[in-house]
Amino acid sequence: MTAASFSVGVALIAAACGGGGGNKSTTTSGSTSTSSSAAGKSFAVFRIATDTGTDYLDPGLSYTVEGWGVMWNVYLPLLGYKHVNGPDGATIVPYLAESLPTVSSDGKTYTLTLRKGVKYSDGSAVKASDFKATIERDYKVDSPGVGFFGNIVGAADYAKTKTGSISGITTNDSTGVITIKLTEPQGDFMNILATEFAAPVPAATPAKDQSTTPAPSTGPYMLQSYTPNKQIVEVRNPNFDASLYGGNVPVGNPDKVVWDVIGDDNVALQRVISGQDDWLGYHPIPPDRLSSVQQKYPDQIKLFTPANTYYFFMNTRVAPFNNLKVRQAVNYAIDRQALVRVYGGLAQPTQQVLPPTYPQYKKITPYPYNVAKAKQLIAQSGDKGMAVTVWNHDRGLDPRATAYLTDVLNSIGLKAKQKIVNAAVYWTTIGNQATKAQIGFADWFQDYPHPLDWFDVLLNGQRITQTHNNNYANFDDASVNSQIDALKKEPVLDNKANARWASVDKEVMAQAPWAPFLNRQFTDFFYSTVDLSCYVNHVLYEFDYSTICMK
Amino acid sequence: MAERVTESEFTLDTAAELAAIDEPSAIRGRSPWFLAWRRLRRNYVAFFFLGLFIIVVVACMLAPVYAKHVAHTGPNTNHILETVKVNGKETPVVSPGGIIKGKLVASIPIGPTWFSGGGRFVLGADQNGRDVAVRLLYGGRTSLFVGIISSLICVFFAVILALVAAYYGGWGDFVITRFFDLMYAFPVILLGIALGSALAIDGFHHFGINIQSGSIWIPTLVISYVLVPYVGRPLRGQVLSLREKEFIEASIAQGASPFRVMFVELLPNIASSVLVFFTLIIANNIILESALSFLGAGVQPPTASWGTQIADGQQLIVTRPWLSLAPGLAIVITVLSLNIFGDGLRDALDPRAKVKVSH
Repeated sequence: MTAASFSVGVALIAAACGGGGGNKSTTTSGSTSTSSSAAGKSFAVFRIATDTGTDYLDPGLSYTVEGWGVMWNVYLPLLGYKHVNGPDGATIVPYLAESLPTVSSDGKTYTLTLRKGVKYSDGSAVKASDFKATIERDYKVDSPGVGFFGNIVGAADYAKTKTGSISGITTNDSTGVITIKLTEPQGDFMNILATEFAAPVPAATPAKDQSTTPAPSTGPYMLQSYTPNKQIVEVRNPNFDASLYGGNVPVGNPDKVVWDVIGDDNVALQRVISGQDDWLGYHPIPPDRLSSVQQKYPDQIKLFTPANTYYFFMNTRVAPFNNLKVRQAVNYAIDRQALVRVYGGLAQPTQQVLPPTYPQYKKITPYPYNVAKAKQLIAQSGDKGMAVTVWNHDRGLDPRATAYLTDVLNSIGLKAKQKIVNAAVYWTTIGNQATKAQIGFADWFQDYPHPLDWFDVLLNGQRITQTHNNNYANFDDASVNSQIDALKKEPVLDNKANARWASVDKEVMAQAPWAPFLNRQFTDFFYSTVDLSCYVNHVLYEFDYSTICMK
Repeated sequence: MAERVTESEFTLDTAAELAAIDEPSAIRGRSPWFLAWRRLRRNYVAFFFLGLFIIVVVACMLAPVYAKHVAHTGPNTNHILETVKVNGKETPVVSPGGIIKGKLVASIPIGPTWFSGGGRFVLGADQNGRDVAVRLLYGGRTSLFVGIISSLICVFFAVILALVAAYYGGWGDFVITRFFDLMYAFPVILLGIALGSALAIDGFHHFGINIQSGSIWIPTLVISYVLVPYVGRPLRGQVLSLREKEFIEASIAQGASPFRVMFVELLPNIASSVLVFFTLIIANNIILESALSFLGAGVQPPTASWGTQIADGQQLIVTRPWLSLAPGLAIVITVLSLNIFGDGLRDALDPRAKVKVSH
């Protein structure tokens, strides 16, 4: 998904492609105890000064870090992630399912069984058929997540008609068995089952946005109320039984979680300093207050680096960026250290797709800063003086990045101007082929910790679509496509697979469809009464409010 | 015999009073414009602020000269990693940030050098390392352009609509006044944001008019459009009143065409109000442009305008207040100048008039 604070949902496109595979059957079992929930550490209320990035509180619709940040303790998928700090947080564990799925020898069939006794917050039992209904509901509500399920047998047909059912999902309510058949093996399918889009809601849930009339939920918390752009209130789910989950899902320490939606960073910060709120949720500490906050509250700040890459896409179908020399020139011309300062210094420069938090990351520096070479490449390309429109949205610090890029493009011989559009429509605008966006700002925060979430979603030429396109560069390289497709079938990310992904990263950057420039760092700031010995920052969902303690 | 009119009572000056105090031999015809000028020239406060406004305009016109010969940079040129010598000491234009000596430090741009940097970054730099003083002057050009041109367009259409509505009456009047009412129903800022945002993506390509998105003509035309009823409605009222006067009836009786009546008889009689409206609405439009640009629906970055500069500076309001203060002060000075001069002009042209622009 795109940057936490600055995005609305971006549709992912179906088509998990790839050839048939003959993978051996993989059965992974059991639950692992990872919960950092703390019995006896419960307290009354945890208040959060969150930003305006929450798009929906409907698991079928939300596609922002903020939305998922609220819901990951509300709507539990069949599988989920350990609630722990560090890389171990990427470990998939069973949530509503009894164990990790049994995968058939051909890698195409996943079988799971629901835990016994799991109930929704309204007291009704969770049924296996609810899972199927949930995926079908995703299609009915035009969920931005339907692209994740396109590899399920029958999903493509269901996407067209939205009638009948998805034949590839079969369920048995009496046994709780869920069987999912895929058209092709898919190495990241367990990650996809762990997304909020796959979190079951009752089959009778209306196929329309339920943000303000929350659907019954399965997690330790339930949504009590949601007033958009004002407040979200979560309370304990009376029908949640943590003992059913073998420690994979925390009990939750706060009895109640209140999210106050605050638009201004300074106001939000002041609320946390004064104790009106306990956590500065998703707001950056304004750069000119960072030093004083650090000085006064050094123990209440945490710095973290979620898996993200900020980049400039260059549309390979549109001149002048259909010319490799121009794309390389842009990569040589941008000084990534300068862009780090544009973002207040809280970032690391990068020249590649994968962020350094990935095991597949192998640092490469193919484009050291060299303006002379950039000018030379532009002259060789024959595109000197060509008009270029640099696209960006209007929120946060991001417009500064394209202001810099525009200046750089003008300095190397192109004739650039900036085009800023409202953040609410930016991603759909540049994702529409009719726009023919030449070059612009983009970022990516992982949907799940797997290289496929980067290369397959963002750079696989076979997934380019007319609208809602995530491959803004329209990068379509046969060699890269085939490598992605081959790696998609790999059931396990071992050292060999990781090395191959690193090679894909290098090969992509040789073609320069992007000019990646930094991996951003963020801060979490807490009121002085919050006990940060319980602090958990998850690799995907970031701060885990369920496990926090108070002094 | 009439008492001599004091300086402070100039607004009550009338032709009769002037005639009374002059020597009988000096009595001669005085045009309304002459009388207005006579009143205006004695309003030193208005003239002071007119002078101030002219200084602002000239300073903004000289922006390229300042940029080239003093600051040695352009309004959109980034100097993020450069240093500038301030009082003999090399200082980074934007300081490095990150974890420095175990502490979290944010990158902060240089503050005002007040000419101790050899003319560079006199008012400091923004987060992109751009010279604030240079951008302030270029921003002034943008804001003044939008303010003045949008006022011209707005007043032009408001006058036409007011004349047509009041002269013809009937259905024409009904349609035009309902249009005014409709526009009145929307708060100006809200309507400006809606139109500005909608046109920001694709621009305007209708009726043979092609304006690209990001063009300065988008906010100019949006502001012109949203303020038409605020000028047109009071002018219509004045024309309605004049329409019933004998000189208009006489003109019509003599066979004057509607065009002649409207533009030769009626228009000169509302000219003073139009002039005052024009002056006052420039100030109003500069504020509106700044507000829309601040909210992202006006002038598009990286083009400098006072509104976009205030928006750029708000993240650094504590440590680098000049980023926002400088354009804010520029707006205050310009708008105050225009408003006080406009009030003086109104008093001079028609002391009894209650012309004002409010929304």
